[in-house]
Amino acid sequence: MLILLSATVPVCAHHGWSGNTAGEVEITGEVVSGVRLSGPHGTLQIRDADGNVWDITLAPGPRTHRAGLREDTIPVGAEVTVHGERHEDPEVFEAKVRRVIWEDEIFDVYPPRD
Amino acid sequence: MYEWMAWLEASALAEFLRGLGIWTYGLINLAHVLGISLLFGSIALLDLRLLGAWRNIPVATIARPTVPLAATGFVLAITSGIMMLSFNTTEYHGNPFLYIKLPMVVIGLINVAIVTRLPAWRRAISGAIAEPADGIFLNIAGALSLLIWLTVIVCGRMIGYW
Repeated sequence: MLILLSATVPVCAHHGWSGNTAGEVEITGEVVSGVRLSGPHGTLQIRDADGNVWDITLAPGPRTHRAGLREDTIPVGAEVTVHGERHEDPEVFEAKVRRVIWEDEIFDVYPPRD
Repeated sequence: MYEWMAWLEASALAEFLRGLGIWTYGLINLAHVLGISLLFGSIALLDLRLLGAWRNIPVATIARPTVPLAATGFVLAITSGIMMLSFNTTEYHGNPFLYIKLPMVVIGLINVAIVTRLPAWRRAISGAIAEPADGIFLNIAGALSLLIWLTVIVCGRMIGYW
């Protein structure tokens, strides 16, 4: 399931988002590869209902951790929903996200936009 | 290039670094910044002297602290740089700034190898009497070095914004 939300909101002021200007997305899927916090940014892989595997980029490791999202928080196979911006190329399943929702928990790795 | 990148990303070094915790990347990034500041801060003094600044200070006097500090900074920057690259190497595949930066680092080293072999440089750091054309050679050496390292730094900083 992939719902395209309004693209009129300004792009998040964070570097490395240049390829992610296709607008806000909400992606729900099953965790294929769990949260990793070791690189320049935290990462996560999810498979949506259409079978597409998404590479999800979170905030930098310490920031994601501080938002309560640790490497062992969400088990592989769990269903999560992420909010963020997807890659401009519709063939590339990549998104940089600010919010991760798992069960009744909300992890805002970047400040929520309202 | 992609094969080489995949190799680095899958290397034992990369695996080891990824297993060290959430602050590792930030700390290596810090080492990279320290290396760059040490390298560029030192080399800028030397290059500006070669370009004609502070003529009352002998080149040898400026070279004595700046050359070893620049070399130390270079080693720190290159070591931490390879480590940073190893975390997610293939993500930088096709990044034009990386593709300009890496050859420019090699050119910077070639420039060092050439300059240190120039008779004009040898005379300057040994305090020998300069030949008439020495000043021009040293001017060019200083200008090239500044240009090369500035390009490396600009491209390096821009990698993350591509």
